[in-house]
Amino acid sequence: MSQSKGVSPPKNPPLELNREMVRGEFGLRVDELSGQKLYDCYQCGNCSSGCPLAQEMDILPSAMIRFAQLGQKDILLNSGTIWICASCFQCTVRCPKGIDIEAVMDTLRQLALEAGVDHFGPDEISPELAAEVPQPGLVGVYRKLST
Amino acid sequence: MKRIGVFVCHCGINIAGTVDVARVAAEAAKMPGVVFAMDYIYMCSEPGQSLVREKIKEEKLDAVIVAACSPTLHESTFRTASVEAGLNAWQCEIANIREQCSWVHSDMEKATEKAIKIVGTMVRKSMLNESLEPIPVSITRKALVIGGGIAGIQAALDIADSGNKVILVERESSIGGHMAQLSETFPTLDCSQCILTPKMVAAGKHPNITLMTYSEVEEVKGYVGNFTVWIRKKARSVDWSICNGCGDCMAKCPAKVPAEFDRGLSTRGAIFVPFPQAVPNKPVIDRDNCIYYKSGKCRLCEKVCEPKAIDFEQEDEIIEVEVGAIVTATGYDTLPILDLQEYGADTVPDVIDGLAFERLLSASGPTTGEVRRPSDGKVPKEVVFVQCAGSRDPERYKPYCSKICCMYTTKHALLYKHRVHDGQPYIFYIDIRTGGKGYEEFYHKAEVEEGVVYLRGKVARIFRDGDKTVVWGTDTLTGRNVEIRADLVVLATAITPKEDSRDLAKKLRIQSGPNGFLSEAHPKLRPVESVNSGFFLAGCAQGPRDIPETVAQASAAACKVISLFSKEMMEQDPAIAWVDEDLCGACRICISVCPYDAREFDEEKNVVVVNAALCEGCGSCVAACACGATQQHNLSDTQIEVMVSAALEAFDV
Amino acid sequence: MAKVAYYPGCALKERSSHLDRSARDAALGLGFELDELETWTCCGAVPPVSSERVMNLIAPSRILKDVRDSGRKELITICDFCYNTLKRANYSIRNDEVIRKRVNAFLADDDPERTYLESDDAPWVDYDGEVKVLHLLEYLRDIIGFENLPAGLKNPLKGINIAPYYGCVMLRPEKEIKLDNPENPTIIDEFTRALGAGVVSFPYRTECCGSYLSVSSPDASTRLCYRILSSARANGADALVVSCPLCFYNLDSRQEAIAEAYPDFRPMPIFYFTQLLSLALGNGPEKQGFDMHCVDVSPILEKLDTPEAAEVGE
Repeated sequence: MSQSKGVSPPKNPPLELNREMVRGEFGLRVDELSGQKLYDCYQCGNCSSGCPLAQEMDILPSAMIRFAQLGQKDILLNSGTIWICASCFQCTVRCPKGIDIEAVMDTLRQLALEAGVDHFGPDEISPELAAEVPQPGLVGVYRKLST
Repeated sequence: MKRIGVFVCHCGINIAGTVDVARVAAEAAKMPGVVFAMDYIYMCSEPGQSLVREKIKEEKLDAVIVAACSPTLHESTFRTASVEAGLNAWQCEIANIREQCSWVHSDMEKATEKAIKIVGTMVRKSMLNESLEPIPVSITRKALVIGGGIAGIQAALDIADSGNKVILVERESSIGGHMAQLSETFPTLDCSQCILTPKMVAAGKHPNITLMTYSEVEEVKGYVGNFTVWIRKKARSVDWSICNGCGDCMAKCPAKVPAEFDRGLSTRGAIFVPFPQAVPNKPVIDRDNCIYYKSGKCRLCEKVCEPKAIDFEQEDEIIEVEVGAIVTATGYDTLPILDLQEYGADTVPDVIDGLAFERLLSASGPTTGEVRRPSDGKVPKEVVFVQCAGSRDPERYKPYCSKICCMYTTKHALLYKHRVHDGQPYIFYIDIRTGGKGYEEFYHKAEVEEGVVYLRGKVARIFRDGDKTVVWGTDTLTGRNVEIRADLVVLATAITPKEDSRDLAKKLRIQSGPNGFLSEAHPKLRPVESVNSGFFLAGCAQGPRDIPETVAQASAAACKVISLFSKEMMEQDPAIAWVDEDLCGACRICISVCPYDAREFDEEKNVVVVNAALCEGCGSCVAACACGATQQHNLSDTQIEVMVSAALEAFDV
Repeated sequence: MAKVAYYPGCALKERSSHLDRSARDAALGLGFELDELETWTCCGAVPPVSSERVMNLIAPSRILKDVRDSGRKELITICDFCYNTLKRANYSIRNDEVIRKRVNAFLADDDPERTYLESDDAPWVDYDGEVKVLHLLEYLRDIIGFENLPAGLKNPLKGINIAPYYGCVMLRPEKEIKLDNPENPTIIDEFTRALGAGVVSFPYRTECCGSYLSVSSPDASTRLCYRILSSARANGADALVVSCPLCFYNLDSRQEAIAEAYPDFRPMPIFYFTQLLSLALGNGPEKQGFDMHCVDVSPILEKLDTPEAAEVGE
């Protein structure tokens, strides 16, 4: 008799929204830390269109802002997007509403790191690489992707 | 002693909820001069007004005070009722005990005291009020319409049809405006020129319309009903009274200038008529690009002109006209592609704007209606339409929505598909706005039946790669970025007012808004008039809109003009400034403070005089006058003093 | 000889020392000296994102304050990251009252510990953003003037077509940096043209090379660099010129990985703008640190003596 493994959660469950979630603590903290007005975003998609790393992302930048508007902390902090963003500011210079999207990405990284989600540890870099990468690369990686 | 009646309104609970209206009436009855006082639930109602009429007669009242809501709402209501009962309108006053009392306080005791004080001030004022008569101002029954696009043409035709005279001024050599450049109009797909040219011809022929094309307004002075306008009739270098429109000159002109009408997609000569259906169909010489004017050579047109209509010595003429009303219908421009940095800034030949695409579609256009791309003339098979190019972008370009692009882009995609059956149109959009009649169905047709692909996402970048134009966009609905290697890209660039729209507004001394569009007196209820009397607005000069709205608005503006002209005289409110000539010391300070240019210095009499038609009774001059020579009727310095005393009296008690 | 305060930054001291060396040589050739600051620290490389993160502004602000205290008004830097960080720190200090106060409060706290600088004896004056941060290219454009370069060149770079690659942090975010138009920059193009080389414009010149992802997600960086380099090549470039040490590293050292992933890829040499300037001013190739490059630059050096190439562009 095979052991019952339990029923796995659905792949695409609906977002269960309520007022605490959509205008709640998480959203306010993102607003506060990033200094950006998330609700100014009208989802035009310009940031996504021009993002050079979009092809590597599971959730596009404009969708990230949308999830942030809806207070979806778990989805955001567990996304691959925040770790593959290169902080190139292309999104920021093009946003029609003047939202600094890079600042929002940095804030999400910061919140993820605060929650203990460490993306890139010091042991993951080979000594050879560490010796030859120019400092901005090392400093950038460790400040943004590691606790 | 004047017999004053006071009527205190409950306004339901709006006033009575916070103010003890019965007590106000009772206290009013005790005030010197007041012979009658009462309270009533809704003074503005028919029974309320009847009460006013009755009591004026019964109590032989000389003046009436209605303590109620703001005078902006019902002063005219009660003045009418008073006049019907035989009183002079200016002996009826409003004491505002709602907006200035019951609506801003909650303590009933104190609010009631305040209401009594307010009534007290009006009673004191009323004691010194004079009976006034409206001031008649004459009207010149001629209108000036600035701008000869569809808005100007429609307004001119409507005014002319009513029997009034119109001068229609247009800066280009032909009327027609942007609508003449369009191929077909949405949602009916009527041929634009076919529906426009009958109106153009009618305007050109109408006995009441004086058409002045290739002309611009130079200066405007005066006031409603009495404007003097100087119009510069630019030198066209052709005597239009002799020219028979044969076109021989244009055929021979060796100069090649990018044709503005075709958005630079074709060339014209220096002597030209902008398009074949032009009204008037007479050429002008563009002196900046004419070989003769630049270097002294050529003069070929002169040689071939049979009627000898060419006149190189012709000069600008300034024409002075008197008009009574001015309709501003100067239309729109579009944001230049040069400004759109991430879309190539006009360095990519196959990136064009909507109006240029109209020319490509147009049967009388540079490619006789075949869709061919500018770089090599090939028929494009992959065409990308980019919406919101510069609109809805408060950070970098224009903050507003340009309203018509969703519809005209859908139209473009549809027409393209009709002509190039194996071509694929793509439209990148943020939202599709289809509010007009038949618009949603039109969009449905394009998407469902004609196979136009709509991608929801703003395009970030457009650049050249080989002979393709690469477009980087996104489809937010699937959450995937999109790259299209297009043959042709059409940008729906933002609608802007004409470049010199602000200068014109300054010249006319009318208001324009932060984006340069002309301002209406009230966005909801007074959409076709400027705040400045005598000026009316029509069409895109006021903001982006489509043709049905423009035509409706033009007719509405015409209606306002006709209504103005239908009176024998205009009636000006007499509660305005006047000058006691014995007291005036001719210091002229009052002239400099008047915002309406309503005061002049009379050299002969050596005093300042008021132009009653222009004075709006703002009181600035009264405040500025050092010797009290200028006062305002029914708001004299003395009246203000007694009102202030009345307001402060209660404190002494 | 005029001396200008110079902040090299960590990378230029060792890993990207050829950028520093060629810069100093080039400056001397142009009649001024890059006067390295007496003492300095790392600038932090990436600026903080929020007003909560004021601590991260301390390092760049301290550097700028030291420059001001030493009596100088301008600071040149070459590393794009340092430029970005220092310039944005200045922007925050100049435009945000709260940040200015907090940063200065921290710096003042810190001050008594620092006894090794002459200026530490002077009375305390808040740093208000008085120092102007200049990228070396900016200095060359605005103070020396690109139009004045050709006259002083011993070996103008005729015969090669170079594609300027701008990267990201030198130009963006535009509001705070204001060096050039981020969509259509021209500063390195004009510079390269002034050196006599043919200038190639290509669509990927402002698209990110991957930056620090080279460490954490190298494949992503490889993919991006492939696009950049192959686009430059397709538009007629023989070589790329860059100003950022990280862009240089990515574009130069990733080429082996790119060649493995993309069989059609042909290697392309990368130069620092200072190396080109130094060469053009007459300093020999042996002084440019070409041995530190991964991709051999000799094909380009050979081409330099052939007849002038026409400028190709997009």
